[in-house]
Amino acid sequence: MSAALPIPFIQFLQVATVGLGAPGISGVIAKVEARLQGRAGPRVLQPYYDLAKLLRKEALAPDGAGWVFLAAPVGAAACYLTVPLLIPVLTTFGLPLGYMGDILGGGLILALASFAVAVAAAATGSPYAQLGASRAKTFSAITEPVVLFVIFVVALITGTDLPYALAATVRSSASQIVRPAHLLAAAALFMVILAETARIPVETHTGTNEFGMIEEARPFEHSGPYFALLKWGSWMKQLILYTILINVFVAPWGLAATAQAPAVVLAIVALLGKATLLGIVVAVIDNSFAKLRLFKITEFVSAAFLLAVLGVFTLYLGGG
Amino acid sequence: MSAIQAGAAAAVAAPSVYAGGSGVIALGVLLAGFGMFRQALLRDQVRLYAVQSALISVLAILVAAVRHLPDLYVLAALSAALKVVIVPIVLRRLLRGVGRAGEEEPSRGWTEIAGSGSLSLANTVLLAIAVAAFGFFSVRALGIRSAVLPPTTLEISVSVVLVAFVLMIMRRDVASQAIGFLSLENGISLAALVVAAGLPLILEVAFLFDLLVAVVVFELLIRVHHGRVESLSTADLTSLRG
Repeated sequence: MSAALPIPFIQFLQVATVGLGAPGISGVIAKVEARLQGRAGPRVLQPYYDLAKLLRKEALAPDGAGWVFLAAPVGAAACYLTVPLLIPVLTTFGLPLGYMGDILGGGLILALASFAVAVAAAATGSPYAQLGASRAKTFSAITEPVVLFVIFVVALITGTDLPYALAATVRSSASQIVRPAHLLAAAALFMVILAETARIPVETHTGTNEFGMIEEARPFEHSGPYFALLKWGSWMKQLILYTILINVFVAPWGLAATAQAPAVVLAIVALLGKATLLGIVVAVIDNSFAKLRLFKITEFVSAAFLLAVLGVFTLYLGGG
Repeated sequence: MSAIQAGAAAAVAAPSVYAGGSGVIALGVLLAGFGMFRQALLRDQVRLYAVQSALISVLAILVAAVRHLPDLYVLAALSAALKVVIVPIVLRRLLRGVGRAGEEEPSRGWTEIAGSGSLSLANTVLLAIAVAAFGFFSVRALGIRSAVLPPTTLEISVSVVLVAFVLMIMRRDVASQAIGFLSLENGISLAALVVAAGLPLILEVAFLFDLLVAVVVFELLIRVHHGRVESLSTADLTSLRG
């Protein structure tokens, strides 16, 4: 028997996996996207180099921007580092801090981070950053009901709203996987993730076309280490949302059931592998659909809402 | 862990794999019905109808295999041949000459029917969700039990019918209205599969051929309408109001 890792260390590893793995996942997606478009694309490790470069650079703040402008990137990054404590990143069993908050708690912290970034963008006085912040808030307000209905589905399936409980339920039998409500909720969550991570039917991820920008426009005025924190934050947010979809809804396999070192290492590799696969799927979607016009985004969200609501209907009425 | 175990008691138990799978297929039928709100080209609308019909055949095959009802294989095959192959072909052939007025080249099934909704797409979907909810809740209240399929599928079938009604009401082009009617018939086939899977085959086949008559009648109406007003839109018909 190999040595069992101390529980607090595993808890730390959850955060470290998300924090250090997120730029890599983003790099893989950018690479795959470029290859699909027939370009050579950046190195997979490019995001790490970007972070290192930005951290060395000088930080400038626009005239009149207050302390909020500088505090927000730090606050947002802190929020994104907190969420991995609450969700099943590496283990099937709940870690001591895992029950600090349920799905709603995790969602609240993610929303707080997004709020901090939006406030910082508003504090700059720059029209593009403000436009991005206001659009991001508008569209997150219309994706909110979808997320709520997905949470209702989780609550009806498991009787709790702990992410660990749903992952355990999904693992328990095949009938839990094919039940319509579960599939609908997972599909709706996937659509929300596409919207929240600034992916194609909703927003172009790369490029500098300001008219279509939502999330990407917000850090326009930040520079240097603060910009690095915002970039890193958005990559972490992406990996956190992927982790929720993968380890709670779609494929909660490969997680460590014990605190043994090999199991935990395997769980880290499995998570990054699954996130890469999901990232490739997202990159393929990115390349096969056109970006929706801004006012057509409601149609995309209404489709996600339809899936989530039907999930609740089938559960509430048919036991589906 | 204790929190997980305490919660498990309050959870909605999972249906069997068969019940879950049939529910998913039935939901596919409903989602195809919702998808029809969005289609902008006549060709895509017909294709979506074919997909919806194919899903019903798949469900029939599933029921036949699991519940040992060999009649249903024949029904599934007939239904697929008619609704997945013949009806779409007939629809496309008859609508081939139908294009926008003043169009240079009469469309090859590309006829645009976009923007014929009376409400925006998102609002239409919300309205249809409300109507579908009515279907779900009302059938639930009836408490009909079926021997072959879980009750969810019956609730979904009624929702398919209601959503098809919404499609017929909200879209102002005759082609979508015809497809809406055919999709409504798909909802009824689904309901028939749930309630009366053991219905004598001859009756089912008779219903299927009724559908063919309906298609021909619709084609005639569409062509007459198009010949008169040179468009698929029914918006011009409102001027007939007294």
